[in-house]
Amino acid sequence: MEYVRKLMDRVSVEGVKIELLNTAYGNGNTFLAKLDPRTLFLWYLYFGIAPWFIHSEVLLLGMFLLLVVTTMMSRVSPLIIGILCLGLLSQAGYLFIVSWLFGGGGETILPLLKLTMKLSVISMASITVFCSMDPEKLSDGLLRIGVPKQVSFGIAYGYRMLPSLVEEYHHIFLSFRLRGVAPRRHGLLYWRSIVYFLKIAVLSFYPLILSIAKRTRTTVEALEAKGFSYAYHSPEAKRIKLSYMKFTARDAVFLLGSGLYVVLLHVLAAQISI
Amino acid sequence: MAQLKQRYVLTQSQKMMVFILSMSLYGLSNMITELIPSIRLGPIELSVEYFAFIPLTLCILFHPFYAAVGAALGEVIFGEIMLGQFGGLGELEKFIGFSLAMFIAGTLVNDPRNRRQVGVAAMMGVIIHQFISCAVDIGKVWIGVEEFEAVPGLAQSVVVVEGVAFLNDVLFSGILFALLPTLYLVPRLYGKIEPLLGMKPRNNKMKYSLGEIMAPRLIVVSVILAVLAALAEFLAESDMALVEWDADFLESIGSWFIWVSIGAAAAVACLTIWLLVRRGKRSGTAGTGI
Repeated sequence: MEYVRKLMDRVSVEGVKIELLNTAYGNGNTFLAKLDPRTLFLWYLYFGIAPWFIHSEVLLLGMFLLLVVTTMMSRVSPLIIGILCLGLLSQAGYLFIVSWLFGGGGETILPLLKLTMKLSVISMASITVFCSMDPEKLSDGLLRIGVPKQVSFGIAYGYRMLPSLVEEYHHIFLSFRLRGVAPRRHGLLYWRSIVYFLKIAVLSFYPLILSIAKRTRTTVEALEAKGFSYAYHSPEAKRIKLSYMKFTARDAVFLLGSGLYVVLLHVLAAQISI
Repeated sequence: MAQLKQRYVLTQSQKMMVFILSMSLYGLSNMITELIPSIRLGPIELSVEYFAFIPLTLCILFHPFYAAVGAALGEVIFGEIMLGQFGGLGELEKFIGFSLAMFIAGTLVNDPRNRRQVGVAAMMGVIIHQFISCAVDIGKVWIGVEEFEAVPGLAQSVVVVEGVAFLNDVLFSGILFALLPTLYLVPRLYGKIEPLLGMKPRNNKMKYSLGEIMAPRLIVVSVILAVLAALAEFLAESDMALVEWDADFLESIGSWFIWVSIGAAAAVACLTIWLLVRRGKRSGTAGTGI
């Protein structure tokens, strides 16, 4: 529990909020961000699904390296990388400990590494694609490939509103702590404190639900003033809205480059396995 | 008399409001639960799986369909895409299962002031959701991985392991983060939150017709999607022998451990029910806090 508190000191809510905004809007000038959303979706279709069916270590390692490069190119915030690593490590680590304790031994490490590699390839592909586009572009791209407008609106809205929602939640949480009495003793394994914090975490939602309801009404009224429902049914409005999207040489280079790399990897993998 | 059969109709923008409200609230809570660490005591995992009370409360107070779909979408957007954990097609199964469970929970209640109905609906929502995900997990092993059948007794132990996980989730997460908060929030928000969205509170005289929402096309599409999602899951995880270790683990530790876990969960459940009943008797109509 000590390390949790230390971690919490470093990861402040303010920091999380800034990171989120940074993820959403901070990297509009990277190479990946300038690509057409459809290119990225096409790319993701391969790198998000194919790794499940790949069993060759060489191939996986090659893809892993490529994705490390693309993830670095998209300049993702450390917070997201941190969450990714934590998730992968805790899952793999737990499985490894369990299998080792019950007679797994050395030979279970390889399949576990392979599994972790697969999972990380897929996660990094989704980070590359979804974090390198800014929300407007992502939602327009989804709209273009035929996703319902509510979904694409939801994404744009979510990215924009989440930081302020996190802040509001944090304020309510802090005022609950300010007005309440923290347990005097931590209890065995800090259970008293854990129960106290979980209770506040749940209770804080009551004011939040009411204030978000108000906010939602304002949002929808503003949307209606701009003719959201009308545009929803009108194909002409959609066409005009999305007319700016077009494939460029950049997209071709990116797709061809990735394709060539994957083909080379396949050749390499075939040679090594023979 | 015509008024008695009045349907629960919402305008386009009211639907949108319910949808956005549910999406942003549940998305936010997902972000928070994603950051809370979980405690693992052997097969019992004491973790805050999800704040199920938020979609449950909203499904009970508003139109269940829009609230459920909004919450499921919020989970995908805030909890998966924004944190870079989007798992591709496998998410589809989660999306459908979750929104279905929440929708059913919402339709079970026709009077949000009735405490018993709300409690039953909250538990049903969690049970249905966990049951669907459990069934998919078991199916994954049963259908997806043929060579497992060569191992004697493996199928049974998978069912046992999944069953224990199911009971743990329902009794721990379900009671602490679905039943109690929903019982606390619904009576407090009823009649207070609806005017903020410019609509009348749902009352038991209003009926919303399933036929109107569940148009035949939607049913066909969702069935196809569900089958596709299940197939994708099976394909995707056929070589992730995650359950194998769990099974080994269970066998080596002995089956008595399951009973410890079930017993603990049952004790918590009994204690909660007893406390609820006692509190209810003492304070009559006053609220049941947590």
